[in-house]
Amino acid sequence: MVTKSKLKMALAAEKSIDFNKLKLKKKEKAAKKSKSKKGGELPGSEKKQGDEEWEDLDETSEIDEASEVEGELGDEDSGSEEESVDGLNHIDFAGIDESDSDSSVGDNDQDNDLENDEDEEGIPISDLEDLDEEDKEDIIPYQRLTINNTVALTAALKRIAFPIAKLPFSEHHSITTSEPVTIPDVSDDLNRELAFYAQSLSAAQAARKLLKAEGVPFTRPTDYFAEMVKADEHMAKIKAKLIDEAAGKKASAEARKQRDLKKFGKQVQVAKLQERQKERTQTLEKIKVMKRKRQGADNETTNEADIFDVALDEESAKPSRKDRVGPNKRQKKDEKFGFGGKKKFKKSGDAMSSGDLKGFSSKKMKGGAAKRPGKARRASNK
Amino acid sequence: MASVYKTLSGTNGRKEDAPTDGIKRIKQRVLILSSRGITSRHRHLLNDLASLLPHGRKDAKFDTKSKLYQLNELAELYNTNSSVREEPLIQKSSIFYFEGRKGKDLYLWMSKAPNGPTVKMHMQNLHTMEELHFTGNCLKGSRPILSFDASFDKEPYLRVIKEIFLHIFGVPKGARKSKPFIDHVMGFTLADGKIWIRNYQINESEPSKVPSSTDADSEPKPKSKSSSSQGKETEISLVEIGPRFVLTPIVIQEGSFGGPIIYENKEFVSPNQVRSDIRQKKAGRYGQRAEQGIERLAKKGELGLRTSGGRTMPVDELDTAMLFA
Repeated sequence: MVTKSKLKMALAAEKSIDFNKLKLKKKEKAAKKSKSKKGGELPGSEKKQGDEEWEDLDETSEIDEASEVEGELGDEDSGSEEESVDGLNHIDFAGIDESDSDSSVGDNDQDNDLENDEDEEGIPISDLEDLDEEDKEDIIPYQRLTINNTVALTAALKRIAFPIAKLPFSEHHSITTSEPVTIPDVSDDLNRELAFYAQSLSAAQAARKLLKAEGVPFTRPTDYFAEMVKADEHMAKIKAKLIDEAAGKKASAEARKQRDLKKFGKQVQVAKLQERQKERTQTLEKIKVMKRKRQGADNETTNEADIFDVALDEESAKPSRKDRVGPNKRQKKDEKFGFGGKKKFKKSGDAMSSGDLKGFSSKKMKGGAAKRPGKARRASNK
Repeated sequence: MASVYKTLSGTNGRKEDAPTDGIKRIKQRVLILSSRGITSRHRHLLNDLASLLPHGRKDAKFDTKSKLYQLNELAELYNTNSSVREEPLIQKSSIFYFEGRKGKDLYLWMSKAPNGPTVKMHMQNLHTMEELHFTGNCLKGSRPILSFDASFDKEPYLRVIKEIFLHIFGVPKGARKSKPFIDHVMGFTLADGKIWIRNYQINESEPSKVPSSTDADSEPKPKSKSSSSQGKETEISLVEIGPRFVLTPIVIQEGSFGGPIIYENKEFVSPNQVRSDIRQKKAGRYGQRAEQGIERLAKKGELGLRTSGGRTMPVDELDTAMLFA
């Protein structure tokens, strides 16, 4: 215990804490403990040891706090711890009201009580190592100590807190909801996010009101351009993703429609075939009627106009291009020079030409053909 | 001499001005950095947060994981540049430190630089801005509105955490890179013993026609329109920007990366413990099967069905071995 920092030592001196005395006290306690151990009261001694440890802890923490307070106050003299706490309140950090801190101190007392209760049930594992083997047998160790040093926490808070109550809202921009946000089921994504959204929305509205009252600009004018948190490429990516999603949705809807159509496709096909059949029979019937009428009206030519469509008649009456009688020069030329078709292999032999025996005669083959007389003979014949 | 007097009186005047003014200005800075061994997602999240904190200064990855108190010196190093001349300033510097462990777990340390306190939290369910395809966007460096759940005021440790959030995420007025307009809200909500953090864009739109029609009845139309543009409030809606994450407080220390522990969360289960439990459970299945096998053998032995070991059945005269041997 004597190995402490200079500051702490000085403090202890000021508070007239005698470490030697403390040591003596401790020794006494240890002696008592060993005696009782010999007496055979094992569990009681353990409990005592636990309590003792706690007392020590408390003492040290008190000293720490006092030292901090000193650091804050600087040169100011502080005789006792209580005085220093009063000094804190005088300085009034953070605008935390006194009643608040008082209540928290009360809480701390309760907490300590609770912790003491826990001590009776079990002992932290860290303390176990100091005990003997036989002592270890019948105690229930628990994993972790609950440390919730309320006094230290409030002191720390006072040290760092902004004096929010004094500052204008535009300095700190923090809004706390009037009632705690309750989320019945944390794993219910939708409702949870909705609660978060509602909290932030109400804060935004309240903040706007406060800022407008203070005359601080809130809304960004439309012609104010500046760098954004998400760059343009990033936003483009997001946009592309949104478009992609929309397109995907549309495509899937289309596909579903097509699938539904396929289900009825057979019926549709049957209906179409039937329709076609119907049309065919109708036309056939018309033709039959026409034929009959024509037979009946063979001598009466006037009726023919009724039977055929007028337009058709007129069409046929017009002289068509094919029927026109002309010089027909082209046709002649084509016949003469050939037109169309490939020209290659036109003169080569094929099965037809080789089978063609038009120019063949056996007489010629046997040399029966008159030979050409020699030159002198031909000349003499002339 | 006159100049000396002038300067002296000037300084005096300035000193007196401040208290009469009564308004203190807050000037805080944040040192943002991470340890080695964080994953890319963690890094991206850190970058996202850094882009939201114009008063923050990003530093290189911090090498050591054991001597975290060195971070204080680092913060001090960066803080010396700021002028300490003005009295009414409330100077605060904070440290925002990501500690990655095992390449998967992320712990967030938030501390007030010179003398604490420090909060250590476990970060879960983190999603960076990029992987959340939210359409919201805001000015880089605009000052956020910090929305806190009222449950933060219930417990002292939560109040400490709230205060530190306020110091780190609140952009001080007139910060160097900050923008003069307000267009996003950060929500801090306490649920299930964890702190959930969201970031929304404030979207202002003209109010819908339905409520304004009642005004139009009493007043001529153009006038009402002008009045709505001046005096009437636009409707606010929010669009999420990202990132998202959830924090579980673990420990609060009195000093900055040191000092006694003044709060410890008993309910916090470390991810290592969770993983080991899962592994143990898996290992337990084999143990169970093996035990069942042994039990079965013992049972068979008891009934005399085993050739070796266990109970031997008394020899019966009608046994096949007796009859045919």
